[in-house]
Amino acid sequence: MSRGGQSRTRLLLVILIVTSLFLVTLDLRGVKLLDNLKQGMQNVVSPFQRTADTVFSPVKGFFSDISLLGRSGSQIEKLEKENAALKLELLERQDADVQIEQLKNILDLAGTAGYKIVNAKVISQGSYQSFAQTVMIGSGSNAGIAQNMTVLSEYGIAGIVKEVYPNSALIQLASDPAFRIGVRIVNSQQIGFLTGRGERSAVLQLLDNSTDINQGDILMSRGSIANRPFVPGVPVGYITTVDNSAGTIAQSATVRYYTDFSKLSVLAVVVGGPSTNPGDALVPQKPRPIPTPTVTVFVTPTPSPSN
Amino acid sequence: MSTRQIGISSLVFLSIYIVQESVVAQFRLPGGGFSILIIFALSWAIMSEREIAAVMGFSAGLLMDLSQNTSGPFGQWTLIMLLACYSISFLGYGDDNFFGGALGVVFSIVLGNLLVELLFLISAPLLGVSVGSFTQILFILFGTSVWTLFLTPIVLPIFARLFRTIFQAGSLA
Repeated sequence: MSRGGQSRTRLLLVILIVTSLFLVTLDLRGVKLLDNLKQGMQNVVSPFQRTADTVFSPVKGFFSDISLLGRSGSQIEKLEKENAALKLELLERQDADVQIEQLKNILDLAGTAGYKIVNAKVISQGSYQSFAQTVMIGSGSNAGIAQNMTVLSEYGIAGIVKEVYPNSALIQLASDPAFRIGVRIVNSQQIGFLTGRGERSAVLQLLDNSTDINQGDILMSRGSIANRPFVPGVPVGYITTVDNSAGTIAQSATVRYYTDFSKLSVLAVVVGGPSTNPGDALVPQKPRPIPTPTVTVFVTPTPSPSN
Repeated sequence: MSTRQIGISSLVFLSIYIVQESVVAQFRLPGGGFSILIIFALSWAIMSEREIAAVMGFSAGLLMDLSQNTSGPFGQWTLIMLLACYSISFLGYGDDNFFGGALGVVFSIVLGNLLVELLFLISAPLLGVSVGSFTQILFILFGTSVWTLFLTPIVLPIFARLFRTIFQAGSLA
């Protein structure tokens, strides 16, 4: 490359780096220069996401079976086609059944607490490239959804509404590293903060260091002002390990969320909070041990024949 | 680079972005999955001159910043992709190129992908972005590298042919 070419490349590189840094600085200072473009882009992508969701919904976990196709013989091919069609039908049915079950549980949860909710289907998963945990749902401001509303799964907290568009919304999952929620422990009523870690477990930090926390303690959400971003009384998770290391300023523990973030297909956005605080009404019931019947067999020895 | 080439390559970038956002995003793949846009941008950057690679990286990063699924301030991905594409082109262009043969290109894309992730991790604390626990970070770094290693040999011939069609046909005309 000639000297002139090299200096031109350097100049271009410097211009592009300065532009990038300029964009970063503007964003950090709260100047949302390209926010409209970002929203417009989401409006463009949203129909594609919906279509892809409809197309791939039955086959999301079914790739391994594709390798079975392609055997020779007309009879086998015919049977396989029939079989594939039936499998697809069954998968669609199973997919619908799972969604109905999740929806039913969500409605039970919301009904018990008196939350007004809007249900929505998950239309795409977030990218892991920036270590964030998000999903996109197929309902937006047209359905009454607004920013900073609580999002529920069938088991409890799922996240909050981060961005809203007319027909879709971005949900920041509770597992996101930037997610923070105020919680209280059901029995002791201690309060603390829960922070996501990018996985199903989270870190709890208590405000009061004097009282004890125990493994298995259940955490519920504390409400926010005007129920945004969090409505009170939503089950969050339970404590799995307690950090008792000496010298720590705040007591901490590891918490496992009730929600399985890898299996979200239907979510509910709380558009109206409860008229009264539901308290502990939504505390998940502990599974009751089913007694195992014991069968006692009395054996009476038969007298051996005497010789 | 002619206006025609810029127009067509912008459309190609946009199409890849839509595929990433609508199709790849449907699947919660184990190990964090992959980004087809990163693989695409890196593969084209290897085949391009430095200044074109820088523009490609800038455009790909801008698209990534426009995605709703990315965290961090607007411009972070633009900067990262710009640096990654320029670096990979710097090492791969010319007669004394760093990557010899197809296998070298595949490994360079995997390394480039890892470099992109590492640049994000380095810049994240400076820009106030939370990235999660150490084990989760390692898991994602490993997972995305494996996915990229698995996917690159499949998509590279398509991307290379696309590149030749747009740029070499354009230069001959």
